[in-house]
Amino acid sequence: MLDIQKYLRLEMFPHMLCPGCGHGIVLGALLRAIHSLKLSQDEVVVVSGIGCSSRLSGYVDFDTLHTTHGRPLAFATGIKMARPELTVIVITGDGDGLSIGGNHLIHAARRNVGLTCLLLNNEIYGMTGGQAAPTTPLGKISTTGPTGPFETPFDSCRLVEAAGASFVARGITYEPATLEKLIVAAIQNPGFSFLEIISDCPEFFGRFNRMGNPADQILAQKQNVVDAKTAATLPPERLKGKMLTGILHHEPRPEYAASYQESIAQMGAQAR
Amino acid sequence: MEKMTKPVQLLQGNAACARAAIAAGCRFYGGYPISPSSEIAETMAKLLPRVGGKFIQMEDEIASLAAVIGASLAGMKAMTATSGPGFSLMQEHIGFACYTEVPCVVVDVMRGGPSTGLPTSPSQADVMQARWGTHGDHPAIALCASSPGEVYELTVRAFNLAERLRTPVILLLDEVVAHMYEKVDLGRLAGLPVEDRRKPKGAPGKLEAYAAGEDGVPAMAPFGEGYRYHVTGLAHDSRGYPTQDPAVVETTQRRLQRKVDRCRKEIVSYELLQCEDAEVIVFAYGIVAAAARQAVRQARQRGIRAGLFRAITLWPFPGEELAAAVKQAKRIVVAEMNLGQMTGEVERAVGKKKTVKTCLKANGEAITPDEIFSALQAEDACHA
Amino acid sequence: MESPATQNVLIVGVGGQGVLLASDILGTVCLGRGYQVKKSEVHGMAKRGGVVYSHVRYGTQVLSPTIEPGTSDVLLAFEPAEALRWSKYVKPTGTVIVNTQKRIPPAACQDRRPDALTRYPRGIEQALRSQIEDVRRFDAETLAFELGDLRMCNTVLLGALSRVCEFSAEEWLAAIEKSVKPRTAELNRRAFLAGRSVEFPCAEEPQAEELVFEKREAARDEAPFIEIRQNWCKGCEICVRVCPQNCLVMNGSKLAEVAKAETCIRCMLCEWLCPDLAVSVH
Repeated sequence: MLDIQKYLRLEMFPHMLCPGCGHGIVLGALLRAIHSLKLSQDEVVVVSGIGCSSRLSGYVDFDTLHTTHGRPLAFATGIKMARPELTVIVITGDGDGLSIGGNHLIHAARRNVGLTCLLLNNEIYGMTGGQAAPTTPLGKISTTGPTGPFETPFDSCRLVEAAGASFVARGITYEPATLEKLIVAAIQNPGFSFLEIISDCPEFFGRFNRMGNPADQILAQKQNVVDAKTAATLPPERLKGKMLTGILHHEPRPEYAASYQESIAQMGAQAR
Repeated sequence: MEKMTKPVQLLQGNAACARAAIAAGCRFYGGYPISPSSEIAETMAKLLPRVGGKFIQMEDEIASLAAVIGASLAGMKAMTATSGPGFSLMQEHIGFACYTEVPCVVVDVMRGGPSTGLPTSPSQADVMQARWGTHGDHPAIALCASSPGEVYELTVRAFNLAERLRTPVILLLDEVVAHMYEKVDLGRLAGLPVEDRRKPKGAPGKLEAYAAGEDGVPAMAPFGEGYRYHVTGLAHDSRGYPTQDPAVVETTQRRLQRKVDRCRKEIVSYELLQCEDAEVIVFAYGIVAAAARQAVRQARQRGIRAGLFRAITLWPFPGEELAAAVKQAKRIVVAEMNLGQMTGEVERAVGKKKTVKTCLKANGEAITPDEIFSALQAEDACHA
Repeated sequence: MESPATQNVLIVGVGGQGVLLASDILGTVCLGRGYQVKKSEVHGMAKRGGVVYSHVRYGTQVLSPTIEPGTSDVLLAFEPAEALRWSKYVKPTGTVIVNTQKRIPPAACQDRRPDALTRYPRGIEQALRSQIEDVRRFDAETLAFELGDLRMCNTVLLGALSRVCEFSAEEWLAAIEKSVKPRTAELNRRAFLAGRSVEFPCAEEPQAEELVFEKREAARDEAPFIEIRQNWCKGCEICVRVCPQNCLVMNGSKLAEVAKAETCIRCMLCEWLCPDLAVSVH
């Protein structure tokens, strides 16, 4: 109902993502969230890395920065430091954010720098043709894990919470309204906000693992998740193999760029 | 701040670099500790907030240059400093800054390599990495200082070139220059001109972010001021949008190279010492040039007509200038603290008719005047 | 042999209104008298505002647990539409007690626009009066709210029920005290008495319901319009599969197409779940 087009670079459409790719759903939710927060297009910066998810930055009409593989959080940190007043949103993927960019992720969380990091997790490397990701579940097939990986996938939310993020949440593309609310809450948190979004890759993950067409795949998402509030009432055996969704951790603490800015002001006062 | 300090100071090379950066308008430093460059970070951490600037210690060198590029896109003049191993990690983003045309200054205080190598003994073994370290074709500007006073000057110049040409500029120091203390007249240096990037004319609107005029340098809008443009490391068109159109890609590639080439004369600087009548000329840069100066003096005292070509700009390589300077000389001695990285460039510049000898050292020790003097005399190469 | 004097009370409402507790209390009152009681209830969609009902039968000897249509002495309805749904169970000479506050079920408000027309039944009061002699309508919910807790609504309704049953106020109050948490006992007592003291027909504004309909009627605008940008659509079929009203189909070019916009309920799923941002619902 919202005229989403005003936030798009229409000349770039249709976008390059595959049919049924969940990342486009995230894009819609992100734009509705930005709209509902009444943010001006001029005060939003979208930074992304490399991969399917990171291509989203090219389609939105803000200042946008499509960086190198795994590094968007580091670029975004520089932007936020230079202009703390901007709303800096980082879009990354599971390979980008957790594998090659894992170090940047935990440090951005530790610093609590005021970035909103959306990690679009489709459990595979899509752009390069379906290789195993650090999130590929045991038993799931990829081109570099033809019999499934032998390594345990990351739980990115627990990782980032342990690293010190002040806001950690998980959403799924099948619940776009909830997703929008989670993005709003993430942006509203002044410190480092991390939102993992379970998204689908029908082209590779879905095809390799015989998950049916894109509609079948998205309709199946609910089988693997439990809302955190519900989970609190369930016995552990009912939670086996399930991912928790909703806001998983929210504990505001001083934001890095603002704290630094404050120390500059204090230094100025002392000098006078 | 500057006026509260004494105009003439005993300054370390690294400290001079930091002081000059601030004087040149640098307001952002992102870095990671590594010897022998750490004093630059330490000085910046202390001084930047006093002028309203920002310092951040990132998790590694990759992230450091990333943050620097981010801050530069957001409108701040920005820099980082590192040494060999960190410089290797930064190559990824040097390429990114070249292609996305984001001004920044990268200081590499060279130490012995490869790998962890010789922390922290002097070396000049990163000079080729400064040119070709990142993948793909790209322009490169690298300056190399021989003394703390020159570190100051070249740091300001590095920022000016970066801002004017929208490209990363590399400042190469060696461990000796970086840690050397010398009298530096800040009063004189305070008057160095400072250049800023050109911003787009007119109100924000639809911007062709990479449309360039005659000089090949697009005006640069800071993020957050309503221009709303796209920056990508992918091949892109004049709007900044990804493209694979060969004609468009070619145009951009050529423009990037041309914008630096057309300013070559302003970028290239060097120093000549007694080259006019020299039959043997030493080609040296950085701290080796100081030793070479002494060697030339020694040679002249012994009646050998020696001269020195000191390269200050390493990239673009001052080939034409070198060729002109060695016209009447018979021999050229390349003295450098590596296994001959610049020797090939020198050979190419001077042509086959000249004899090119080398005086090389890559063991963590500085080349001495005596070693260069021996090379001046000898017909064969000196491997010190 | 079942006693001919067996009383049938049907208690109905929607999830969360306290139907089951009310029927438990009635059961407790009956037991206090030494009667046999049988109770049969259905609940399940309680969280979604679904239908909840409880058949209560009591007397000297009760065999069947359920009430047959047309045989209930009393229908205690926590919600007007539920009263209508169950009205055929009531004897023509029976009594209906109705809380007038509506709970519009999801099925009746599929159109998600603000002020959209709902498919909630109209003319409930007339329908009830045409079938049953004694119709007692009142706003139990507001009464409970004014007493300090909306959740007392069921006890207020029990108060009204007590006027048509044979049990004394004391018997009721004793059962209530036994059934509720001690800290709410006093509030429940007052709620019961407030309900018991309502006189019928009570003076309330019957036009309230009609006004709401008129307002919704006025807000009705043109039919929903679903736009699909064919050149953006990549034919993933998600919108077609998630549409609860089957408004969309895949066309011959394997792209999504609007088949019948008129049944669209503006749930927005097609727009929000379109990965290509190709669908807009206006």
